[in-house]
Amino acid sequence: MTRHDRTVTYAELDAWVRATARRLGPDPGVVGVLTSRSAGTVAALLGTLAAGGVYCPIDPAYPWPRREALMAASGCRVVIGEPGSAVPPGVGLTPLPGPAGLLDADGRGEEPGGSAVAGRVAVSPDDPAYILFTSGSTGEPRPVVTPRGAISVVTAGLRELFGITPEDRVLQFASLNWDTCLEEILPALTSGATLVFHDHAYAGSLHRMLRMIDAERVTVLDLPTAFWHELVHHLTAERAALPPSVRLVVVGGEAVSPVRLADWRALGLDGVRLLNTYGCTETTLITHAVDLHGPHAAAGAPDDRVPIGRPLPHVVERISEEGELLVGGPALALGYRDRPEATAERFVELDDLTPGGDGPRRYFRTGDRVSRRPDGALVHEGRLDHQLKVRGVRVDPGEVEAQIASHPRVGAVAVVGVPVAGHTTLAAYVVPRSPAGPASPAMTGSLAREVLDYLREHVPAHLVPHRITVVPELVHTASGKVDRAGSHRRYRSAAV
Amino acid sequence: MNVDAVSAVFREVLEISEINADSDFFVMGGDSLLATRVLSAVARASGVELEFDDLLDAPTPGALSKKIAGAA
Repeated sequence: MTRHDRTVTYAELDAWVRATARRLGPDPGVVGVLTSRSAGTVAALLGTLAAGGVYCPIDPAYPWPRREALMAASGCRVVIGEPGSAVPPGVGLTPLPGPAGLLDADGRGEEPGGSAVAGRVAVSPDDPAYILFTSGSTGEPRPVVTPRGAISVVTAGLRELFGITPEDRVLQFASLNWDTCLEEILPALTSGATLVFHDHAYAGSLHRMLRMIDAERVTVLDLPTAFWHELVHHLTAERAALPPSVRLVVVGGEAVSPVRLADWRALGLDGVRLLNTYGCTETTLITHAVDLHGPHAAAGAPDDRVPIGRPLPHVVERISEEGELLVGGPALALGYRDRPEATAERFVELDDLTPGGDGPRRYFRTGDRVSRRPDGALVHEGRLDHQLKVRGVRVDPGEVEAQIASHPRVGAVAVVGVPVAGHTTLAAYVVPRSPAGPASPAMTGSLAREVLDYLREHVPAHLVPHRITVVPELVHTASGKVDRAGSHRRYRSAAV
Repeated sequence: MNVDAVSAVFREVLEISEINADSDFFVMGGDSLLATRVLSAVARASGVELEFDDLLDAPTPGALSKKIAGAA
């Protein structure tokens, strides 16, 4: 791994991982890791797994109540972070040693072949490897528990799909709090490749990012589709060049825009693989993929409906009568921790349809409606529920509504996704709790600000609506349910 | 870049006509992704390469044009 002029070799990483595992002790249970974009977080991830523990990333930028809720929902007792990191009483904190300190102090004399921890740690493929959270409609994040066997099979599959070799230099771009970062980290580090960290990857200046990619000779980029759209816009509008070192660009997270794809194809990047991918946290990283451009892309593919791809070899797929994509196979999550009802609702047992098949199989209901193109690739048609993608992250408007409704001055609330310049943003319509007489503009203005401040103290930034409008009442459907879209239509022009 | 030029960039990126010197990019629906477009446009027009944190710090056309002038 490299960061600017600093390098962590595989030998140093190995020692770092062993030291972390030794410090945690065998079977530490769920280990919360206060993440940063650093080799240290990667060492904490691998050290937790080596000790037989369960990795659970926690974003130190999250408001305190959210971090506390995530720690409680994951059941973590130990947190790895910088010394002085704030953790709740009763939670042990293991400061993370850096490789330099490690080699000078703890790591000296460490034999690369030595055991990771005192005593052998017995783990099975069905034991949990990590816990990540997805948005749920009840206002509480759902902890997804992924087994070790799932990451093994998917990591092997992605090495193959990406064709990673020791010569590759993979940019670390994804937030270390979401699963996408594992697409970068695990195939690279199990292939002898280099993982490149650099501040210019996330600072917002595409000029600097492209110069950095060139200088660092990055070969693989794995980008959220929404960010890739901006990259294509930049390359086109600024007549900028993608550095020649790049051989593979992986995108995923939301639908690829046909317009941006056409722009990309016009850039003359025929030697660069553009790979679209699809997957859910509950089905572990990537389950479907398709080459959209470059040496492996099928010629003459229509541009208007960009496919999400075909199943990877480890994936068993099935499409329900409603058109919902169901995913089975060895990469399914174990379920939602301590949420048996939610688990039973989304993970279902279905009989094998093929003659002589081997009995019922477990599938995850993705909630995504799909159709199959004549060439076999799937096309995404929409959601069966109300979930939205905000900056590539799954958001259930019900979760945001539940958070806003917990404010004492809020009586009712509807949250909708609103497109701004092609991006989905959240707008909230809030009814004050039993207002005494007609609300004055000053009162409603102060409530909107109060709710906004309240949310910023309680939920991550992607769950905070960019616009909160105080309204006298919401629109309801004939059956008496809140009509989110109807409320938006009635009040959109009232929004400031 | 003066205030009007930065306002024009905000209008183009956000696809909203009601932008004045005090319009907050993030309140008007801007996010970190759309911010990259503002930063690219600023770099093209002024040669000043700002970062996302600069826009967070100066989210209005008035404040951002001062920051650009200060960095040029």
